[in-house]
Amino acid sequence: MTQIPLTSEENIARNRDAYRHAGEIDTHPLAVEPWDKEWGVAISGNTPEPSPFPRINNILAITKKTTNGFVAPDRAELVTEAYREHPGEPQILKCAYGIANVLDRSPLYIFPHELIVGCLGCDKKGAPVHPEFGLDWVVDEMRDGLMDYSEERTHDYFSYTEDTQRRLEALREFWHGNTVEDMTNAMLGDEELKGSHAGVGVFFADAYIFCGAGHLGLDYERLFRLGFGGILRLIESTEEGLNPADPDALRKRTFLKAAHITCEAAIRHVLRYAELAERTADGEKDETRTAELRKMAENLRVISVQPPQTFWQALQLVNLANCMIHMECNGHSISYGRFDRYMYPYYLRDLESGEATREQMQELIENFFIKIWDLNKLRNHVLIKTFGNGGIGGPALTVGGVDEQGFDSTNDLTFMVLDAHVHTRLPCPWLAVRMHADTPWELKVKTANVIRLGTGEPKIFNDDVAIPSMLTSHVDLTDARNYQVVGCVEPDVSGKSYGWKDCGHMNIARVLELAVNDGYCYHCTRECPRWAQCAGAGKRLGLATGSLETMKTFDEVLEAYDRQMAYWCDRQVALLNAVDLAHQAVRPLPFLSILMDCCVENGTDVTMGGTKYNFTGPQGVGIGTAGDGLSTIKQLVFDEKMVTGKELLDAVKANWEGYEALYAYVNSDRVHHYGNDDDYADRLTRFAMDTWCRHIEHRKNAHGGFFQPGAYSVTVNVAHGQNQWASIDGRKAFEPVSDCMGAVHTKCCSHDVNGPSAICKSVTKLDHARATNGTLLNWKFSPNTLVGETGRDNFIALMDEYIRRKGMHSQFTVANQETLLAAQKHPEDYRDLLVRVAGYSAYFVELNRALQDDIIGRTSLSFD
Amino acid sequence: MLYHDKEGRPVGRVTNIQRYTIHDGPGIRTEIFFKGCTMHCLWCSNPETIRPGRELGFYPSKCMTKDKCGWCIRACSQGGAPLVFDSEGLIAVTDGTKCVGCMRCADVCPNHAIKSWGEDKTIEELMAVIRADESFYRRTGGGVTLNGGEALVQWEFVRMLLQACREEGINTCVESALCVPMEHMEAVLPYVDLLITDIKHMDPTTHETLTGQSNRQILANIRRAFELGTKLVIRTPVVHGYNSDEENIRRTGAFLRDELKGNIVAWQLLPYRRMGTEKYESLRRQYPFEDYPTPEREVWEAELLHLAELMRAEYGLPAVAGSGSRLELDREEKGQKSDPV
Repeated sequence: MTQIPLTSEENIARNRDAYRHAGEIDTHPLAVEPWDKEWGVAISGNTPEPSPFPRINNILAITKKTTNGFVAPDRAELVTEAYREHPGEPQILKCAYGIANVLDRSPLYIFPHELIVGCLGCDKKGAPVHPEFGLDWVVDEMRDGLMDYSEERTHDYFSYTEDTQRRLEALREFWHGNTVEDMTNAMLGDEELKGSHAGVGVFFADAYIFCGAGHLGLDYERLFRLGFGGILRLIESTEEGLNPADPDALRKRTFLKAAHITCEAAIRHVLRYAELAERTADGEKDETRTAELRKMAENLRVISVQPPQTFWQALQLVNLANCMIHMECNGHSISYGRFDRYMYPYYLRDLESGEATREQMQELIENFFIKIWDLNKLRNHVLIKTFGNGGIGGPALTVGGVDEQGFDSTNDLTFMVLDAHVHTRLPCPWLAVRMHADTPWELKVKTANVIRLGTGEPKIFNDDVAIPSMLTSHVDLTDARNYQVVGCVEPDVSGKSYGWKDCGHMNIARVLELAVNDGYCYHCTRECPRWAQCAGAGKRLGLATGSLETMKTFDEVLEAYDRQMAYWCDRQVALLNAVDLAHQAVRPLPFLSILMDCCVENGTDVTMGGTKYNFTGPQGVGIGTAGDGLSTIKQLVFDEKMVTGKELLDAVKANWEGYEALYAYVNSDRVHHYGNDDDYADRLTRFAMDTWCRHIEHRKNAHGGFFQPGAYSVTVNVAHGQNQWASIDGRKAFEPVSDCMGAVHTKCCSHDVNGPSAICKSVTKLDHARATNGTLLNWKFSPNTLVGETGRDNFIALMDEYIRRKGMHSQFTVANQETLLAAQKHPEDYRDLLVRVAGYSAYFVELNRALQDDIIGRTSLSFD
Repeated sequence: MLYHDKEGRPVGRVTNIQRYTIHDGPGIRTEIFFKGCTMHCLWCSNPETIRPGRELGFYPSKCMTKDKCGWCIRACSQGGAPLVFDSEGLIAVTDGTKCVGCMRCADVCPNHAIKSWGEDKTIEELMAVIRADESFYRRTGGGVTLNGGEALVQWEFVRMLLQACREEGINTCVESALCVPMEHMEAVLPYVDLLITDIKHMDPTTHETLTGQSNRQILANIRRAFELGTKLVIRTPVVHGYNSDEENIRRTGAFLRDELKGNIVAWQLLPYRRMGTEKYESLRRQYPFEDYPTPEREVWEAELLHLAELMRAEYGLPAVAGSGSRLELDREEKGQKSDPV
């Protein structure tokens, strides 16, 4: 049954033929929608029937817009059963038997209208349980009423039956002491933990302690080339080639055995779907649907072992492979790579052969997008507070950008993917458009028009920074040019990199606090939210680097910050490496390994460094907060001598109470602040970020690679802020620290007051290429600055300039009416919201109420 | 009127500098507002730009009160003696003997509760701000726009600033009501890429009632600017019930068609909504338009769209509602678009 896969030379020739057209097509994209179609500005809310395809609208009509779901216990039981049947076997084999049992026996579903199958072994919005990473919290939250809807948990809640609760409780004892979390904690002492989630929270690493690493994409082109049959033969031939005299052979053989078990299970899993499709077709009365189901069954039989032959088959394989990865690894941000590249050969072939029309393929893409949104992931009641409505979490899909030779590779699919988002308007997948100096005008217009819609999609990534940045991490040039975006922010080589992206965060604003306060927290009392679990409670927490009270020069401040950063980076590295080792020991990933480049050939699991690139990527958080803190100290204490170091420290320790005048002054534009195109503050902010990068970059990690710094927070700036007392930049206790690469916004006011061009310039004075794990700037636009052709083109110009200045990555809020109403209520949070008034533009909160009301009433007007 | 600083360098008196404006001229622009105006339009929304001298505005609601703050008192070169507070906050600075006009109070106030209107800036100071966004101008066909008040009151300085921009290849735009001597306008025009000006009313008497000045000089200047080949954008702020009648708009259209041969970049019919109240209060001045009832959005929207359509259809003029449409002149200059399919 197995067809011989194409050789690599044949494959290259095929692809070369396919990509040859790319350059010709780029200025004449033939998608279902015109390339310059406008959908309006800031009308992101519910539009009935957004798709031109009735099937898609029918599916959307029964698709829930929330992440609320239910706990699905089957997976936990099936994994436990396999582990029990194989006591005493190597851990990696237990893992392989576990996922095999899940793939063989989980319930499967084919949903009405749908052309693509694939689920997590449960109904839509069901969340399987992964006891390997920790079962206690699941059972505890059920017992304590924190899992399902309650006053404590009003969104992202998971219902469950008594039966589910009982079944999971029965497994608890088996897993106790055998999870990733248990192993991590056993390896660490107070010294590593005092600054972490278990202590005061200078840095966090908790995500990977309680769940899988994820944050990667598969090698889709390799999967298409080999099919599961080809992979199986590759495993067999590698096993045959092992030299028994090699001391490593036994370890490799064990891995290959595990790989073999999972690969066979994957084939059976796909065939189960084929059988289900046939059975469903037998019971189906509608003739058209019966034919569809038979075609789906046929497709599934082909891709169970062979390489896909058509667009439909390829897309089906992508979805199934990703679902199976989720069922195994429990990680966030399993991403879809460069979709418009790896699907393009199938698109062209089907068009030429008449196998499918462009419209049919568009419909398939839209169905596929909805399938991604149906997936769900169990999260605890704390995490959802800062990560609401997250769905499966981080399913990024990348389009656009240069090819392996460095030429633009935009094609029809690039446009069709963006249209598919507009036609579905779901938060999935997380779209990234790669841009560079030669991105065609048509793609800029398409991207701008989708952004103006106001859904927050897509994000824009800059090849001209991301590629050089990857080269500094010793990524090959062709791989770097082929990068995908993973999850929220991170550039990655799909299928070749186990990057541990987003594995932790360092609050660099907190490091500044300890640096100028001799290693003590400003407010080390029982009021501290971390007092109970802090190993340093009541004592000096960090390194004794002196106090601002006695520092004679500003250079002493910079030096103290630098030494304090080194101290905390040491501890974060130790913690992350311990978690890394725990993953390798407790939860190797044999099924993921067969879909990653060269793990099979190396005979090594992906968690242990089996694939080509191996990184660990924690992020620096609070860049603006640290930068404005340094700027305030330099200006007020040393340059202008307006206050003494002692007075400034006293004010912060008092949470600014009794220091209202100083608080107002520090927050005002009388002080140099980051985000205003002011070199004084921008240089210091750069120092704050560079110091973080310098102390974390290129440190060795535990899976054969090294650390990569990131410069973004996503939403964790809120969590860090909740653990932190007041700070020198004018922030009061427990307010969020600054987000990503953005300027400081305190309760008092926003610190960036000079508009978008100044933000663009300030942010690009920071070194994005050095943050090899990614950067992010969140832009916020008022809809009426984007209306009309002028609004669109000025927006494109701003993005072009951000790209030319080497900003890596942008995301966009086009504020809708609710935002404007919120801005009226909390103007201090919206100081940088630029709106069109009449004949000129102004900052929304600087206008009086009546005019604000007027603007709120006109957001969709196009000629104002 | 030309001002000088203590070193004898020429300075311009400005009330505001705004980066990233996108509607007064093509592309992304930096806009500079000059102080002093020759007219006194009833509806003026920017009263701080009318008088030529520097003046202080007070926003007591933004003041934290002297007990809680007091930066102004500590900064005052006279020990705070000229500063007058009431229970809500700072309400005045006494002029005359006590206050020496050092403006330190306004410079230090963290909340801008005292606002100093009228900062004197040298050419070099302004050019530094203008240059900051040069790359944005290049990308969008943008540049600098000089506005007011009446920018041409300080025509000598404006000319110098425009010359400096020209030397650096920065696109220049002036928005002026043109109620100034013709020779002042002529002195500046050689350095202006685009002139934006208003025709507020065609009847000289009504114009005087509404703005304090007849329109004779304005119309003469527009004709002259046209003769000199200046690219023109004409604006009419359509104030419902004052100049919005079809007869006035038709007369304006006839002027543009007959005297300028319709050869203008655009005629923008702008909506007017009253919004100067807080500024008048801060300056302790009476707002002549305080009781003006801004019509409902639907009313003025329909009015503008109707008038623009009428002027396009019957007079063949490039009339548009609002200032958001692309100006034709930058379409040809951009040239970065590939041909549409």
